[in-house]
Amino acid sequence: MSRCMPSAPTSTGLVLFPAFDWCISPTHPEREERLLYTKDQLIEEGLEDVNNISFFNPEIAAHHDIDRVHLCVPSSRKLLTESHLISAGGAIRAARAVMEREVEKAFAVVRPPGHHAMQTVFGDRGFCIVNIEAIMVEYIRRHYGIRKIAIVDTDCHHGDGTQDIFYNDPDTLFISLHQDGRTLYPGSGFLHESGGPSAPGYTINLPLPPETSEEGFDMAMERAIMPILDAFEPELIINSAGQDNHYTDPITNMNFTAQGYARLNRRLNPDICVLEGGYSIEGALPYTNLGIILAMAGLDTSHVREPDYDPANFVQPPEMNSYIGELCDQAVALFAGREQLRREQAEQGVVTTDKRIYYDTTGFDVRESRSYHLCPHCPGFTEITAAGLDRQVHAFSIPFNACPRCHTRAKDRFQKSSGDGHSQVVLQDRIDDLYELK
Amino acid sequence: MALIIGIDVGGTHADGVLLDGDQVLTKNKVPVDQEKLSEAIITLLRSLLPEPPAKPGAIHLSTTLCTNAIVNDALDEVGMFIQAGPGMNPEFLNCGDHVCWLDGAIDHRGKVVKKPDQDLIDQAVARFGRERLESVGIVTKFSHRNNGHEELVHDQVKPHFAHSSMGHRISGLPNFPRRVYTTWLNAALKSRFSSFQEAMDQGLERLQLDCPCHILKADGGTIPFATAGHFPCESVHSGPSASVMGCLALTPSQEDAILLDIGGTTTDIGILAHGTPLLEPYGVTIKERPTLIRSLNTRSIGLGGDSAVALDVAGFTIGPHKLGPPMGFGGPVPTPTDAMIVLGAIEAGSRQQARAAMALLDPEQPAEEVAGQLLAAFAEQVREAVAEMIEELFDRPVYTVAALLERKKIHPREVIVVGGPAQAMAAPLGQVFQLPCTVPLHFEVANAIGSARTRATLQVSLYADTADGSLSIPETGCREKIRSYFDMEDAEKKVMEVITALAEERGIGTLPEIDFLERQEMNTVRGFRTSGKIISLKAQIRPGLEQL
Repeated sequence: MSRCMPSAPTSTGLVLFPAFDWCISPTHPEREERLLYTKDQLIEEGLEDVNNISFFNPEIAAHHDIDRVHLCVPSSRKLLTESHLISAGGAIRAARAVMEREVEKAFAVVRPPGHHAMQTVFGDRGFCIVNIEAIMVEYIRRHYGIRKIAIVDTDCHHGDGTQDIFYNDPDTLFISLHQDGRTLYPGSGFLHESGGPSAPGYTINLPLPPETSEEGFDMAMERAIMPILDAFEPELIINSAGQDNHYTDPITNMNFTAQGYARLNRRLNPDICVLEGGYSIEGALPYTNLGIILAMAGLDTSHVREPDYDPANFVQPPEMNSYIGELCDQAVALFAGREQLRREQAEQGVVTTDKRIYYDTTGFDVRESRSYHLCPHCPGFTEITAAGLDRQVHAFSIPFNACPRCHTRAKDRFQKSSGDGHSQVVLQDRIDDLYELK
Repeated sequence: MALIIGIDVGGTHADGVLLDGDQVLTKNKVPVDQEKLSEAIITLLRSLLPEPPAKPGAIHLSTTLCTNAIVNDALDEVGMFIQAGPGMNPEFLNCGDHVCWLDGAIDHRGKVVKKPDQDLIDQAVARFGRERLESVGIVTKFSHRNNGHEELVHDQVKPHFAHSSMGHRISGLPNFPRRVYTTWLNAALKSRFSSFQEAMDQGLERLQLDCPCHILKADGGTIPFATAGHFPCESVHSGPSASVMGCLALTPSQEDAILLDIGGTTTDIGILAHGTPLLEPYGVTIKERPTLIRSLNTRSIGLGGDSAVALDVAGFTIGPHKLGPPMGFGGPVPTPTDAMIVLGAIEAGSRQQARAAMALLDPEQPAEEVAGQLLAAFAEQVREAVAEMIEELFDRPVYTVAALLERKKIHPREVIVVGGPAQAMAAPLGQVFQLPCTVPLHFEVANAIGSARTRATLQVSLYADTADGSLSIPETGCREKIRSYFDMEDAEKKVMEVITALAEERGIGTLPEIDFLERQEMNTVRGFRTSGKIISLKAQIRPGLEQL
């Protein structure tokens, strides 16, 4: 404890792993250089010497940690490189630091990101192969017995992968605020995507208009996100801390700032942050990451300003304010009606949905069909078939919170199903922590 | 073979040796009054001089001058010019009452965001002048990338003050708060060091010695006395470094090894990886101030031969304080030294008093039993501290997939012990570490030998940005234009050139092997097109022994 360095009021862990030797391709936004300037800024600030801030190296996630969440086709071993295991391991290390009380909060500043990776994985989409937050969440549940978790995704792109994975889980509240899907990849994330039949209202999407600025984000936090979080009463809050809402980001159209990110984080008060996107690597990331870290640690953020920051550039027109206000009201109403919706839907027995998932990095489609086998006592289990790239998977996924009857039902179904040589049959059992294949 | 004199000044006395190669010709010890350091050193030097006409070829000195000045708050007031730019609130920086906060900034890539305001500089120069300050320090954030603002301020303030220090010249490493503290300390030590230098020069002249004189640094290397005048901060914390280098000189090792220097109140721990001492990632922390003063990775724990000992149900408590001499020498409380006397490992002292000390701890057991248990507990505490250090080394942050996968833990193969209680502790240490434990010959003057045998160290850091067409080597103040096709090979060549010139300037005869470290080369891409490359490279003469 040095009296000549500041002390963080909240002890904070940092897993800073810029993976300087990994890229999707040399000129891709997800390239070696991405966190270079962020690392330079954080190190030059002397964060390593600030009392109560600790740096951790990532661990390497086991394939088993991946299989707990994903259905990788053909397999997690074939699809993932060490870099992906390290990125997921970085999130796990951050979680472990918090759960084992090494620190009160932690931020995994790691890459590649993960929030576009859905439950079934056939390849890379939206710069992501595996969903590092989801892997971390199920790791936490498995090892520390935490049930109710809120994930707030503040990346500019809709967190469609995280939404997909927790869509039918009423113990996971997923809130995504992002640039309206009509104007940005992945084109989803509307208010009506509000959760599966066992978890209606537990997915909250706030599609913000392009050019939303500090005011709009403040409003979303105050009028929707904080009241919903308070009502949900999570044991743990996770921030998918993408930083591409920044006014200098080259692939989005928002008008957010380092000061704004710091304020948002102070209000949200997350236990764990995981870096997602953010591709203004020089003009934004060094400042937004620093702002988020200082806010988490309870330190002064007033000096964290981009070199060209001028508050006058961030005033929103009144129409935008009223549009966002209305969106907030609708979100709050949706969440308030969640229990009634759930009771109504539980009667249905089996609900089947179909979707087409586009993998943009190499460009192919996967057709997926999902049957929710509902239960009045638990979220039930999910049967999934997905096909793409001449491969097919037929899976039974048992959530951690399934009742004993649904657990047995799903296992029986798996036993009776047979692979036809063309399709793998998978049992993903989060209760017994098993992943079986035939 | 050249004769070398090595001197290590400690808290209460100074040790010296005259070496011919690795042979100890003379060794001596004199008491030291910290207020009159140069006198004690000259007295010791005189006693070590070889028979004329032989003359020493070099003098190596490890001195406590600067360390003591810092610890005792005997520092000069410094006028600081600090440009913090965007980032953490810099108000925590605690370096005296005379600070001029400059506006403007340089960003992480070394680009000038805004120059500092001229009026602010002028006002501060006038104010510091009125306050009769003689020494100033100038530091900006990211000055290791672009020293422009530090140089700009320096040019203006230099004529007004006797001493000035710039952050980028002291270290090419990042870490702004450390740069501020290092620069401040350096500036605050300059006048004291130059008085010492003057006194020493006069003393050497009286002895008719004109051989090169080198000062030991914390990083297990030396720096010429004259250069040390510009960087007096480099001389702090040289004691542990002398001890590590002494162990290395006395017990050459190619293995991972643990080095222990057990003193009266503390034990210093050093670690060798494949026979090379390890460095701290940034530098030494002194009086709670983290710095960029390059330093060996050593740790001092409050555990020594004279540490006060108590015993309760939880076991022995040893140290961290000393409450007088051991009971065997008339002291008030039991100490590990008493246990050593009881076991016959130390001849001096009263055996009867030492046995009484053991009885005070545990009257139920024979004194020899208690003594054995006490030394075992001592050794176990050392082992725990070593294990923690090895763990910390393994946990140092890495930033690439390759580095993460290649991390290796230190696996010590031997323990080398020096210091007063070394011989008595060898057996219990060997027992808890389950490793061979060596106490080298001449271990009582290991630090002086370390000081004598240590060679010069140097480090330079290069940062090149081909998109921007600029290159910077902060340690030499070099900042120049480069062509767009400048590559790693050019970087190596440039760094070799600079380090060779620097070595020559510092009187290093034959250039030892240069290590290239932290080689990093990264394409910068703007708008899906490669716009250039950022190349960074460090080169060093690693801490080592002068080849015989």
